[in-house]
Amino acid sequence: MKIKEVNFSLSYVFILVLILSSFSIGQAKILFAYDEHSGQAIEPVMTAPQSEGARIVSKFEYEPIEFTPSKPERLVLDNGMVLYLLEDHELPLFKISANFRTGAVYEPEEKAGLANLVGSVMRRGGTKSRTPEQMNEELEFIAASVETGIGRESGSASLSTMKKDIDKGLEVFADVLMNPAFPEEMIRKEKDEILEGIRRENDTPRTIIFREFRKIMYKADHPYSRKTIGYKDTIENITRDDMIAFHKKYFCPNNVIMGISGDFDTQEILGKLKAVFADWKKAEINFPEVPAVEKTFKRSINYIYKDVNQASVVFGHIGIHRLNKDYFPIKIMNFILGGGSFTSRIPSKVRSDEGLAYSAYSGFHTPRDLGFFFASCQTKSESTVKAINFALDEVRKIREEYVDDDELELAKDTYINQFIFKFTSSASIVGQMVGIEYEGLPLDYLDTYVDNIKAVTKEDIARVAKEYLHPDDIKLLVIGDMEQFDKPLAEFGEVNTIELENEQE
Amino acid sequence: MKKFRIKIVVISVILFFCVNTFGQKLKLDVREHTLDNGIKLLMLEKHDVPIVSLRIVYKVGSVNEHPGITGASHLFEHMMFKGTEIFGTKDYDSEKPLLVKEEELVSDITVEKSRGNETDNENLKRLQEELEAVWKEQKDLIVKDEMWSIYLKNGATGLNASTGNDATYYYCNLPANRLELWAFMESDRMKNLVLREFYSERDVVMEERRMRTENSPFGLLIEQLNAATFTAHPYSWPVIGWMSDIKNMKKAEVTKYFEQYYSPNNAVIVVVGDINPDEVVTLIEKYFGDIQRQPPPPEVTTVEPEQRGERRVYVEYDANPVLAIAYHKPAVGHPDQYVFDVISAILSNGRTSRLYKSLIEEKRMAVMAHAYGGPSKYADTFIFFSSPRHPHTAEEVEAAIYEELEKLKTTPVTDRELQKIKNQLEAGFIRSLESASGLASEISSYESISGWRYINTLVEKTVAVTPEDIMRVANKYFTKTNRTVAIIVNKKKGKEAAHENKGS
Repeated sequence: MKIKEVNFSLSYVFILVLILSSFSIGQAKILFAYDEHSGQAIEPVMTAPQSEGARIVSKFEYEPIEFTPSKPERLVLDNGMVLYLLEDHELPLFKISANFRTGAVYEPEEKAGLANLVGSVMRRGGTKSRTPEQMNEELEFIAASVETGIGRESGSASLSTMKKDIDKGLEVFADVLMNPAFPEEMIRKEKDEILEGIRRENDTPRTIIFREFRKIMYKADHPYSRKTIGYKDTIENITRDDMIAFHKKYFCPNNVIMGISGDFDTQEILGKLKAVFADWKKAEINFPEVPAVEKTFKRSINYIYKDVNQASVVFGHIGIHRLNKDYFPIKIMNFILGGGSFTSRIPSKVRSDEGLAYSAYSGFHTPRDLGFFFASCQTKSESTVKAINFALDEVRKIREEYVDDDELELAKDTYINQFIFKFTSSASIVGQMVGIEYEGLPLDYLDTYVDNIKAVTKEDIARVAKEYLHPDDIKLLVIGDMEQFDKPLAEFGEVNTIELENEQE
Repeated sequence: MKKFRIKIVVISVILFFCVNTFGQKLKLDVREHTLDNGIKLLMLEKHDVPIVSLRIVYKVGSVNEHPGITGASHLFEHMMFKGTEIFGTKDYDSEKPLLVKEEELVSDITVEKSRGNETDNENLKRLQEELEAVWKEQKDLIVKDEMWSIYLKNGATGLNASTGNDATYYYCNLPANRLELWAFMESDRMKNLVLREFYSERDVVMEERRMRTENSPFGLLIEQLNAATFTAHPYSWPVIGWMSDIKNMKKAEVTKYFEQYYSPNNAVIVVVGDINPDEVVTLIEKYFGDIQRQPPPPEVTTVEPEQRGERRVYVEYDANPVLAIAYHKPAVGHPDQYVFDVISAILSNGRTSRLYKSLIEEKRMAVMAHAYGGPSKYADTFIFFSSPRHPHTAEEVEAAIYEELEKLKTTPVTDRELQKIKNQLEAGFIRSLESASGLASEISSYESISGWRYINTLVEKTVAVTPEDIMRVANKYFTKTNRTVAIIVNKKKGKEAAHENKGS
């Protein structure tokens, strides 16, 4: 955990303490919360209320909300930069969030961790003309921040400043993107901290489970099977030259989409952007080929021993990519199955009816190539097999029977009525457009979103459940102490035991 | 049913703030209204988007519990989602006798179990089967998680609740035209709650405890730190409660809790967003106005006695070391709190903060180092957390933290450091105005421990802190006698013992 937060606010500190000391009703959706596209507050549908309370509220009448969210302007500069701009003069703030087409998928296997390291050190290590100390001091004194990072399939950079400091902010932001210094000393520091993070991975089931699940899900030669932070030996293989080359290759103007929001004048800001990025030249990028994910389904039962009193469970199989034509029916289907909090079937059964878990849910992880479907829960050792069976039964059931009308309505109404919350700030409006274009979604994605949700029928759901759920071909992973389980995992098939030690030292 | 007029406002924040360096005065113009029954209603207009962020806060938390019922506030928070006499049930009249029967059977089972060797296993089995049968019958009458579903259907986001030491919060953001729905459902929960599915929810909370505390080194460390830091004051036990207390929690205890603390005179409603305050007052009066005021809940009178010497706790667990240090400090309202706010910023906010620069960048002995010292309702602690970087030990990091504290005691902080914190504080305030949800949370948090007006003097009072104040406070509180240190010690057990210390 590094200190990334720059804006000092007492309430922030206060809320952090509150988080540390408080416990909430909501389940913790870790790692892969299903993406949070939501849905236009218009008409509430309330069919067949089952309780007196529901009957009363079904008669409530609401004035329709007429709301036209602002649309950002899209511009492409001569150097290839794609910009989304949205002026918002209510508060003296300014923000940029940018996506670069890069990621750990483009790094060689023997240098796993390279992309992540570049993403951290390009900010942390300062630039050719600014030492890290100077840059930190310069930014924090004016309560501004510049941050960068590279994940599995994208790179990001952000700037946040007050209006009066836009010039200074842009200058530093551009400097970090164009001229990072990558000093050896800082590379060593960052590597050592990552290595400490790796040492600590096995301390909690939470940090083990999806790391190991990816290894089970994808073939070892596919980058989706690897950790983006790398491994002890691959991190040591990374040289400063590798980092400079990686940065040079991907951080060019024709490889970025920027969302710009806040208290600025568009013409003026365009002039400033052109000035600070004047030396940033277009470059052709040859993206390394990423092997296609193999779409095979083969059952496997996997177990990791850990001395804990609660089993961590995940099961699933290869799923879909983000541009799948059935994205919307799958989204609704998963809401009903296990992605829609308490009311969905898996949490309703495993948590609410049986009291077997605090956290129980399902999701579709949807990257560029095929992601995976998964269901996950944590349950006391003595109810492990029972909980797995309950969850698995729900996956079977949704394939075999039509979902109820009220379940479908709940899912659709939720997304439709939540739609307005996609527009609560100018930063989130431009941020979404950046994401939509980056993902390769149609640029009218938000305009058609509500209609796409409305169009989903229960026949669609039955079809996608059959097509995209394979309960007999699951890969199961359980972390815990099998001696304490209600039944051995052999119940589900031949058990493959995974040893943890390899990773740690 | 009164209809709500929602005006169209094309992206224009009409925040009623006033003005300063940034063209904005750092104050919130919250409108306050108190109902006759004691409910305090706090409203802030923000008309840029037609949404409304709603909070209801009950001033009850783990601090109001006592040994034997630790975790009651949190378990109760879960029960608030199980419905009322009209929500969550197809027919409460048919369900009611089953709930009575459930309690009788649970009580009989407890009695039978408590007989030890004398326990009549036949009878126990019969009672348990009967209880299962009651639950099965009740299940047909329950409409699962109905209040939650209705909120979702109406577009609620951020739907959640949380329990802390001092207060319990219920969160909801809705499209602005759904305010009446919220008022109706929340007032019904305050009036007619039914504790259905109590025993399965108790199991859920036990799973929550296993997940967050028992199988998390960080969770365990905080729990053990607080248990050692407080010997008398109720901040000593975890919000989630001790396992044996959760396991043995009685419905009657929780019911009593509800009656004492979930009263209108102990509740605060916060409404931030695209609202007309006069209409909100009318609506809240309409739905909450008829709820009877209750006797004021008992005061927490226990005061933690002065610490008489350093306490050290080692928590043995299969994980890498983590260090925590706690120093007692006063409650909200004490002027030194503002000094602690500045100290935590100097030590731990950002890449230029002293702990980051010293422990992570220069000495390179840790990968994480934080200092927290926000305000609480009662005297609490200023806490440090750090994860050492192997092969550095927790003790080395501990010494390095003390070195930083010594500097605070002996050398005045520079004007530039203070100016930086002032700049960040002001910018942070302005940034906080962007989010209705964030504002609602902030107003409700401060209201529950002190009063929302605390926010309006916070910047001014924090900015007034001097280098001499910092030296004085550091010398007064950061003493060996006043501290408790807790450390996770890697202790691999059982099957893994053979691999202990391998390769390092």
